[in-house]
Amino acid sequence: MFPADFDYVVPRSVDEAVAMLVHYGDDAKVLAGGQSLIPMMKLRIASPRVLIDVNGIAELAGLRRDGDRLVLGALCRHADVAASPLVREHLPLMHDAAQLTADVQVRNRGTVAGSLAHADPAGDWPAALLALDTHVTVAGPDGTRTVPLAAFLVDAYTTQLGANELITQVAVGIPPGRTGGAYAKFERRAGDFAVASAGVQVTLDEAGRCAAVAISCGAVAPSPFRARAAEAMLAGQALSEDLLAQAEHAVRDEASPFADTRGSVEYKRHLAGVLVRRACVAALARARGERVDTLHL
Amino acid sequence: MTRSDSRYVGASVRSKEAPRHVTGRGRFVDDLVLPRMLHAFVLRSPYAHARIVSANAGRAAHATGVYGVITPDDVVRLTTPFKPGRYAAGLRVPVPEYATAVGKVRYVGEPVAMVAASSRPEAEDALELIDVEYEPLPAIVTTEAAAAPDATLIYDELGTNVAWQGHVSFGDVDAAFARADRVVSANLGIHRYSSTPLEPFACLVDPTPERLTLYCNCQNPEVVYEAITEALGIDGVRVAVPDVGGGFGQKIHLIRKYAVLTALMAVQTGRPVKWIEDRSEHMMAAGHSCDQEFDVEAAVRNDGEVLGLRIADTDDVGGSVSTLTIHFTNKLNNLFNTYRVQNLRLEGRSVLTNKCPVVPNRGIGKPGMCFIWERMMDAVAQELGLDPIAVRRRNLVTQDQFPYTTPNGNIIGSGDYQGLLDRALKNIGYEDIRAQQKTGNDRLIGIGVVIGLEPGGRNAARDMAIFPKSKQMPGAGGVEGATVKIEKNGSVVFTLGAPSCGQSHETTAAQIVADVLGIPPDRISASGGWDSSLSPWGVSCANSGNNFHLYDIGAVHGAAMRVREKVLTLAAHLLKVDRSALDLRDGIVGRVPSAAPNSSADGPATITFAELGKIAYANQALLPEGFEGGLEATYYHSHPHADPGMLPDETGRVRAQYTFGSAAHAALVEVDPGTGRVKVLRYVIVSDNGTMINPSVVDGQIYGSAAHGISVALGEGFVYGDDGQLLTLTLLDYGKSTTLETPRIEIEHHPVPDPYTTLGQKAAGEGAAIPSPAAIASAVENALSPFGARVRRLPLTPERVWNLMHVSR
Repeated sequence: MFPADFDYVVPRSVDEAVAMLVHYGDDAKVLAGGQSLIPMMKLRIASPRVLIDVNGIAELAGLRRDGDRLVLGALCRHADVAASPLVREHLPLMHDAAQLTADVQVRNRGTVAGSLAHADPAGDWPAALLALDTHVTVAGPDGTRTVPLAAFLVDAYTTQLGANELITQVAVGIPPGRTGGAYAKFERRAGDFAVASAGVQVTLDEAGRCAAVAISCGAVAPSPFRARAAEAMLAGQALSEDLLAQAEHAVRDEASPFADTRGSVEYKRHLAGVLVRRACVAALARARGERVDTLHL
Repeated sequence: MTRSDSRYVGASVRSKEAPRHVTGRGRFVDDLVLPRMLHAFVLRSPYAHARIVSANAGRAAHATGVYGVITPDDVVRLTTPFKPGRYAAGLRVPVPEYATAVGKVRYVGEPVAMVAASSRPEAEDALELIDVEYEPLPAIVTTEAAAAPDATLIYDELGTNVAWQGHVSFGDVDAAFARADRVVSANLGIHRYSSTPLEPFACLVDPTPERLTLYCNCQNPEVVYEAITEALGIDGVRVAVPDVGGGFGQKIHLIRKYAVLTALMAVQTGRPVKWIEDRSEHMMAAGHSCDQEFDVEAAVRNDGEVLGLRIADTDDVGGSVSTLTIHFTNKLNNLFNTYRVQNLRLEGRSVLTNKCPVVPNRGIGKPGMCFIWERMMDAVAQELGLDPIAVRRRNLVTQDQFPYTTPNGNIIGSGDYQGLLDRALKNIGYEDIRAQQKTGNDRLIGIGVVIGLEPGGRNAARDMAIFPKSKQMPGAGGVEGATVKIEKNGSVVFTLGAPSCGQSHETTAAQIVADVLGIPPDRISASGGWDSSLSPWGVSCANSGNNFHLYDIGAVHGAAMRVREKVLTLAAHLLKVDRSALDLRDGIVGRVPSAAPNSSADGPATITFAELGKIAYANQALLPEGFEGGLEATYYHSHPHADPGMLPDETGRVRAQYTFGSAAHAALVEVDPGTGRVKVLRYVIVSDNGTMINPSVVDGQIYGSAAHGISVALGEGFVYGDDGQLLTLTLLDYGKSTTLETPRIEIEHHPVPDPYTTLGQKAAGEGAAIPSPAAIASAVENALSPFGARVRRLPLTPERVWNLMHVSR
């Protein structure tokens, strides 16, 4: 359980970090929270020759509101999100996800951007942020570029991020009024990866019908996905029990999980539906201004 | 000291071990550092089943920092194979087993080679440079596949993968079934799990010219002591056991392989060698509990009386023959649970597979036996339309039957099984819950109430009941020593005959000594860790078998009594009074107030332990004639009632263990109909551990073992892929419950003193791990009654529970 030999370098700015990435190429890995990378190195699944530790780059820390966006620096920790009143008030879906990610130790070190870069199919942030208006900004030798999260996530453990690039920030649109979101996760026990997860963001119209809805599913496909069929079923409708039951069934068909020690294909499909439905109920209640605690299933 | 004269026995005195552990000052094997020490790493099989075509040190021998490489050829050339122990007594032909795989690998993680280097990372780097060529063979991961006529043989020399078959039978089972009103049958199963001690295996060997010292976190030092002595053919062996981070049965058997490998490396390199196991290594190769499948038939009368049981037990013992019958023979300890049933036949099959070998695990065999009885009690109740509690009550051993001899020869000294059930039902509010269930609502709430035994004090001759032809009698009965000493300065130290694995043995033993010698526990300390050269150890020297309460307590009590005698003799001489006029209080010997006045009125009235110490060790002129210097005594204890039934009679009746605690467990659960998740809403235990020496220590043992048993029932466990790869290499994947899933355990003590032990004590260790899987199973089945589901197998993962709802619907 000791990593293979590696070098360790500490850039002081994003530009310097990019220069190092260009210099070392595929031999290097960026170290932010290290909560996936270090265990992989100890298991020798990953053996980078150089670690570029970006934790000293002040401009990447924390989160802030920028107009109608919430901007997370690349070093924003899960715990920063969990503790933010701003997030709790405007983006309860993210508050849920931060509460449900791993354990206290991991939440104190691990970063949201790192979770997106790692793109674990069962990770919480790729699934949660897919239900929101999320953009990822990356810096590389040719400057910075910003891409929607849906485009950034390519496949299991695969993103658009080039070997010479690093994420600098993640921006999430703050939804306007009469809206509510929730993230539901089924884990075998506290701190585990999701067996299945779902993010739902609902916006209501004047009549209380569903004006807009975004539904994301995690851990039940090679990459998290938007449940478009279920979204289409709900959009513009009054969200009745019957309609939610239909959406639950639709989600089962949209999921394409693989079997592993966390569950069979059939069970994971079933769970995806159950979680979407429960997240919908919580999101709807929040959109109506009711207080709903994070779901612990 | 009499039973009523106790100041400290029975009190929850503060832990003597906790301060060093909570401040990080415990001393474990990995904390020990020796000059010129090397660090070893083990190369393990990546295959479940393969022939080793060739294995040589390759480039590893010349890698940076490397001092030694041991390959299977070296092991064969330089060591002799392990002697088959009593759990291999059922082998048809002898199968030599070495510290590494030889010729074949039979499970993922089986040790193949060892490398030692000046640092641990260097050793791990060099591991990748050892050349091993494998020829993969089909992996056998189920007992069905293993027992198939055309199955690939795991041991060619055995000619079959069904390595052992046998049975025990008591009473007239056929007659019981002939007069039964009906037969209730069920196919039951328990899966593979482990106690996952916080500290994995650890060995440090110091090969000094005088002798070879092994520092090792083993539970039963005799196993590694004999292994090294025999494998290396050397007499000069010393084993030392410092602090140990949990045992639970894991650190008894397979650790000997690593002790031998590390010792061989130390001898070969002439340097101290440390080997510390990783978590993942521990998960894959340090031993699992046994997958057990039971086909059970119960002969019953329509009033709920169980006349007899027939059980066919298939044990998946993994890829080693060394612990072939370990889960079978341990069922003799609680073969009839708490019931007065007279007829039982247990057939066993031990089937080899390409999985990790099996080892004891918190109750070994006994959780399975309790699971059988308690699941069948519920099945009988369902079949007959009776209340499950009533069926249990109908069959329990009753108060007037104690001391009760079970049909297989165990003598249960005392108990109150009806009383345990009464209290458990009251504490959980059984009647109210049943009434609420009848009013009907949508919630899937279930209650389960079970009862089980906690056998204690091992008699290893038990196994001869199954293997009467065993040429060598395994350690019979129980003998264990302890030393107690008043130091020259008046403080007291004791040395126990067996190591501790974190169960507060220092605290508990000190309370015994405190009461006998009349000195507070804070002036008493343990002399240090276990040391084969210093500790007075007998056949019962084991942090296993629930031995401590019986043998070590008996020994330390006996040793303290001997020292007390010396103190009284010396003090009476010095104070010039009759010894019957003396009493010991707070480290001072003095006349009891009511005693006759001192004949020499101007002499001192009291004398302290420190004053006695100075004289006893350093002033012969003041000693009475014939007084042996010093204030120290060693005493070897054996169970006073050990002889009847110590060796099996011609019908196989034997006292497998000597004391029998018991407990009723009541679980209240709720099932989430959408996900299948089981939440334990309440968990109540009423426990009879006999006289408690330290109630808070007893509670700690109950909390830990109940939490584990509940976690086992709800999902923790090992999972293998079809190719024999272990899929649960980390604690995360293995799925042990965290504190968030573990319910609050509500304990009530209902102690019934044991008539045969020193202070009336019974075992208090693994007990709650024995009935808890059955309690959860019973409660979940009750919760799923709207679906008519039957719980037959563990673990009750959310998916399995969801399937039970789904399939039944």
